[in-house]
Amino acid sequence: MSPRPEDESCAAVLPLLEAYLDGELSPAAAAPVRDHLASCPACAAELRLATAIRDGLRGLPELDAPPTVLLRVRQEAGRAGVLAFRPPQPALRRPRLAALAAVLAVALLGATLLFQLLRSPQPVQPTPQEIAQATAQARYALAYIGRVSRRAGLELKDEILPRHLVEPAARTLSRSLGETPEPDAAPRQGS
Amino acid sequence: MTTGIEEVVARYQRRVFTFARYFLGHREEAEDVTQEVLVRLWRHAEGLDAERLGSWLLKVTRNACYDRLRQRRSAAAVVAPDLDAEVAEAAVSDDPDPAAQAEAAEFRHQLVAALGRLDEPYRSVLILREIQDLQYQEISDALEMPLNTVRVNIHRGRQRLRELLKEVYGHVATA
Repeated sequence: MSPRPEDESCAAVLPLLEAYLDGELSPAAAAPVRDHLASCPACAAELRLATAIRDGLRGLPELDAPPTVLLRVRQEAGRAGVLAFRPPQPALRRPRLAALAAVLAVALLGATLLFQLLRSPQPVQPTPQEIAQATAQARYALAYIGRVSRRAGLELKDEILPRHLVEPAARTLSRSLGETPEPDAAPRQGS
Repeated sequence: MTTGIEEVVARYQRRVFTFARYFLGHREEAEDVTQEVLVRLWRHAEGLDAERLGSWLLKVTRNACYDRLRQRRSAAAVVAPDLDAEVAEAAVSDDPDPAAQAEAAEFRHQLVAALGRLDEPYRSVLILREIQDLQYQEISDALEMPLNTVRVNIHRGRQRLRELLKEVYGHVATA
């Protein structure tokens, strides 16, 4: 049974039921509502429905996002670079440093050779054997730089670079320029 | 700092997902919105005022939900709330009577469906206040709405739910 529209008391009380239920009406405003509810079964039923709605809403559970969503958040945040402030991993840092050192070493050797050629009044005349060895070492250096670049992410021994690239190249360059080899330089094969 | 952001995301994921889930009534859309909002939170966490984080998050979530609704309207899509399983799983009934439990489950179903039919801002304020238990002031900050307007909208929203449920049940039992 619903309140009759023509019932002015019901029409006045119905919009106040939620505030009345929450105890947010002043005592002066709540008193006539309470009196009406006591004598009007239809409005009392409306109050029960209002109570069921309020309690039903408050009984609805909060819901956790599924773990797959949180995983996707991490992945997307990582792709967007927002994890960049995480300390870089050693396995990623060292190859990059090694590649940079290789490039710098080749550039340094090139600059030294150019400086010596410009300074010397007599062009250096290396032997065919020295030219062949220098060519082989240059090829090795280029191949090594390419390999380092491709293997970014893999661990690399720091001492490989000076032992296999910088020191041999320096020895060959010194000999080509007519300087005395250092005492601890490794003997050349076949000599 | 990464750990801090992860903690913030873990702490607020429920707030974001709950709002989106009840507001949109559609699981996949709510998941997409939650992902979008939490990624934004992750990106902007360092520049956010911790005291305003909650209200910022709710604004962003609500706007993302609005965008979804706009897309839905443009696609003429009709989405029925699909919350029954999750709500039933999480809702605790202390009534041992199976018939009473079934009746309560049916009422929850109708209630959630009616909530999804509410206009704004009623749907938002009811989710935030009655389901998520936010204080009036938090709702006022998040929705940029005067405190008294929040209170009035909560009552009007529940009153509107009452009208909608009377349409469903046909009448109000007076017994």
